[in-house]
Amino acid sequence: MKQLELKRRDFLKATAVTGIGAALGSSIAGLASAQPTKTAETSTIKIVKTNCRSCTADCGVLAHVRDGRVIKLEGNPEFERSRGALCAKGLSGIQALYHPSRNKYPMKRVGARGENKWMRVSWDQALNEIAAKLMEIREKYGAEAVLGSTGGGGNPNFLSCCRFSDVFGSPNWFEPGCAQCYMPRQMVYQMMYGGGPTGNPSLADSNCLELYFYDEIKVKTVVLWATDPSYSGPAQAGRAINELRARGVQTIVIDPRFTPDAAKAEIWLPIRPGTDVALMLAWIRYILDKKLYDADFVMKWTNLPFLVNAKTKMLLRASDLKAGGDANTFVVWDKKTQSAQPLAYPWDDSLEPVLDGAFTVGGVECKTGFRLLKEKTEPFTLAKAAEICWLDADMIEKAIKLYGENTPSSICLGVATDQNANSTQAAMGTATLDMLMGNVEKPGTIMQRYEEGDIGNLRSTMLKKFLSEEQLNKRLGGIEHKGLLRWWAAQPTYILEAMTTGKPYRLRAWIERSGNKLGTVANASAWIEGMKQLELIVQMFVYPTSFSAYADYLLPANEWLETDFMVSSYNRMFARQAVTHLWETMNETWFWARLAKKCAELGHENCKKAFDPKETAPELPYYDTYEEQMDGWSAYFGMTWAEYKAKMPFEFNSMERWRRFYVYKETDPKTGKPKGFGTQSKKCEIYAESMIILGRTGKPWTTFILPPASKDYEPLPHYVEPPEGPNTEGIAAKYPLVMTNGRLPIWHHTTLRNIPYLREIFPVAEIWINPVDASASGVSPGDWVWVESPRGKIRAKARVTQGMARGVVYMERFWNPETVDTETHGWQEMNVNVLSKNSAPFNDVCGTYTLRGYQVRVSKADGPPAGVWLKPEDFKPWLPQPSDPTKLVEL
Amino acid sequence: MAHKTLVIDLDRCLGCFSCEVACKMENGVALGVYFNKVLTIGPTGTFPDVEMYFLPTVCQECADAPCVKVCPTGASYKTEDGIVLINKDICIGCRYCMMACPYGARSFNNDAKVVEKCTLCVHLQAIGEQPACVKNCCGKARLFGDIDDPASDVSKALKAAGSDAVHSLPDVGNHPSVRYILHRKTATWQQSQPENTGRESQNG
Repeated sequence: MKQLELKRRDFLKATAVTGIGAALGSSIAGLASAQPTKTAETSTIKIVKTNCRSCTADCGVLAHVRDGRVIKLEGNPEFERSRGALCAKGLSGIQALYHPSRNKYPMKRVGARGENKWMRVSWDQALNEIAAKLMEIREKYGAEAVLGSTGGGGNPNFLSCCRFSDVFGSPNWFEPGCAQCYMPRQMVYQMMYGGGPTGNPSLADSNCLELYFYDEIKVKTVVLWATDPSYSGPAQAGRAINELRARGVQTIVIDPRFTPDAAKAEIWLPIRPGTDVALMLAWIRYILDKKLYDADFVMKWTNLPFLVNAKTKMLLRASDLKAGGDANTFVVWDKKTQSAQPLAYPWDDSLEPVLDGAFTVGGVECKTGFRLLKEKTEPFTLAKAAEICWLDADMIEKAIKLYGENTPSSICLGVATDQNANSTQAAMGTATLDMLMGNVEKPGTIMQRYEEGDIGNLRSTMLKKFLSEEQLNKRLGGIEHKGLLRWWAAQPTYILEAMTTGKPYRLRAWIERSGNKLGTVANASAWIEGMKQLELIVQMFVYPTSFSAYADYLLPANEWLETDFMVSSYNRMFARQAVTHLWETMNETWFWARLAKKCAELGHENCKKAFDPKETAPELPYYDTYEEQMDGWSAYFGMTWAEYKAKMPFEFNSMERWRRFYVYKETDPKTGKPKGFGTQSKKCEIYAESMIILGRTGKPWTTFILPPASKDYEPLPHYVEPPEGPNTEGIAAKYPLVMTNGRLPIWHHTTLRNIPYLREIFPVAEIWINPVDASASGVSPGDWVWVESPRGKIRAKARVTQGMARGVVYMERFWNPETVDTETHGWQEMNVNVLSKNSAPFNDVCGTYTLRGYQVRVSKADGPPAGVWLKPEDFKPWLPQPSDPTKLVEL
Repeated sequence: MAHKTLVIDLDRCLGCFSCEVACKMENGVALGVYFNKVLTIGPTGTFPDVEMYFLPTVCQECADAPCVKVCPTGASYKTEDGIVLINKDICIGCRYCMMACPYGARSFNNDAKVVEKCTLCVHLQAIGEQPACVKNCCGKARLFGDIDDPASDVSKALKAAGSDAVHSLPDVGNHPSVRYILHRKTATWQQSQPENTGRESQNG
């Protein structure tokens, strides 16, 4: 029986080059014993406090360990964000850790690419050969020909890939999230508010911490815009919103899918995907029109009274009024003197600034920021928004009134708006709304500045200064889309273009780490041709994915139960700590550092320097041993890593210091004036002039002034109709339905599709479709259907539901680990990103392409794709095969 | 006499399947077998006027348990705490109890040739802990305790919810003890569960 199961995975068979014992997947030894080698009588159970990394939320976990084997996981009640809750993903940690398909040893391709023949090699050999090839490519073609990539899904230290690229000298690394996930919101809120790492509206990224203080309940209305916390973070944000609802907090959900949060909300607005900004503009218009905004806050603490040169779109400065005037003092129109006057920070009682107006200053036409915002929103009446967004105008009004009148309120903005060309505009829209309402740094509101100090930097961070001006200028897509500078990343479609056409230059090597790149990049099929052009493809991951079939080296990465990291929550430090270590797996952060070391040994100057703390300061360096690295990271707290683990959890600030309200009103000891916000003007910059400056120079994220983008970025939110939408000529007739995506509570990105207990819950990709659309497509509940876009065709099972907006269909990302050895390599059967759109137009600021809000059609299919597993029992070969711990590989 | 059982607050249930997986991990439940299975009820109504809630189905710990009555060997029994259990040593795998259970809460273990069900994690109770599904619940929707004790958390929760919001699965004389809290504000309790609630109906 067991042998039969083994045969189902040709990956294993193929590794017979060195015998099955060295296999990538299961080993015979692993099958032999599900029990620890010691007898039960001699063993004791140790409970280790650690933190999950099945997604990015880091929930507290108690790992029960017997004789080195993890036998049970449960939530740790001490960890404030999750308070003992643990979701299905976290609970699956054991099935992931002891998965028979784990990558166990470094493997090198021995047959032709895609032939699936592998040979086990030592880590030293693998790293030496990879480093030598990278150095050769750098010598011949330049470091920019080396592409790095990473991705979410258990990534233990996100920026470690970026750091390697900086040190090696390549401007080209990417991850499929970035401009499509989180970065637009994080970047825009930093530019408009300046609230630091936690000062943004992304619930799923462990922000909006004020909502977790539900016993105090200061917030009255929470808008869940494009976010589904019950699904994206059940143990944390989902739980917190639940507690708020139980205490009477009102919620509004804006989502085309009837999520659990929508079911529990006061108001559900099932919006057409990709049109959120039109709705936001209508909200803003209504709030301005009905004067629902906080007039005092808007006047004194936003930049809307400031005058803007209508032609240049730049704010007027005192230096524009007269020579020698201060360039950081902005100008208002004073009602009393009927003249333009500099407004000394923070406020000048002798002036009476006009909020809404147009004036001529020294012959130049000027308008207040407020007037420009009003003009921008003018076309977006309730009726207009209802028409664009496929909503009911009365329901929109009801929602705005709840948000605008039942205050303080806050808007949590999720990932959905990051996944189309309106990405940054959407974040500007919600920031504008919360700022207009004065929902800033009040008790209960989500825009807050917690005193986190430097704890976010205690790890493998970017090393921006290691990347030269010449190399930075070569970043693919980097000049046109300067928002990418925020994460110091390149743009995926520009990368693909370079890979396939050699324009502007050819890429030669790709070092990749993620759940499955072919499941996450838009228009996945287009990447295969590009990959064929590469001389070297290395994949580091926990188990084989679709990507593995195209690689030259496969390197085994740790599961989260094997990794160490510092985790903070509510002013306390916790530790993700290695509970075991299996086979020859390696921590990914450590892998990138070892690769840099090998390059240093081959004469790479910057790679050498990266090990010198004087060269990397203020960032931490690379270290020579793993122990030194962990001790180096924890030195900030005056502890070794061993001491840190023994002492945690511990507070790193006084609670009073960590959580304060109205930080902007505190006196800055350096100036004697209020601290204000973290922006140029120290005001909330609803008129985001900084966007124009970013597009022209790369400031504030760049290390060198860059040439301007082809067009200025706009300082106010503006709506762009989806480039491939139901109104697009020549498309809608053939592809009548709008595709959206969204999380399910059992997956994170493309990980965990090989977990038996999770796959039995959701064995195949589903398409959720309204009965009206199903009937029009000839589809009945439970039918297998074809889903097609102009880019490709996949299959899915129809869930016909009244919980989908008409004209909109939903799919979660899917791939099939059970068919990685077949011709499809598991990414072609049910992968929605075969359909998604990676072509221009992109978001101008950060190059976002279209993962949601493009057109598809649905038709009945004969049955499921060949070879996919459908029934719970099918997943039996993936049940865990526990094994004993091994020592870390010495390098 | 004590009657320990579950009270599940459906206003709070997030539909995240954490309880289902926690149960399976804790009890090593086979693939395709569920001691605790979360059903999606709805969406009912017509878009956009729809309702939905999640219904975790477990052994209902009946006061008058038909499974105990029909068991020919006494393997199915009730503890002093009112919990229905199976003594696997004397279960002969005849599966009469599976036919008798109105809720399909019992399953057959093909390897051991015995019938199994939710035990409310008696092995954890024995060391003073809550069942795994209760401990890990993300929505804090599940409560475990003595429904006969007015001072228990479960009794207090039922009292606070008000009788209109307290529901149980259909009673055919077996008197199920598990209680579900669902207020109209969240959704209307569906007394006869629509056919289209199980995952099999969608995916099987």
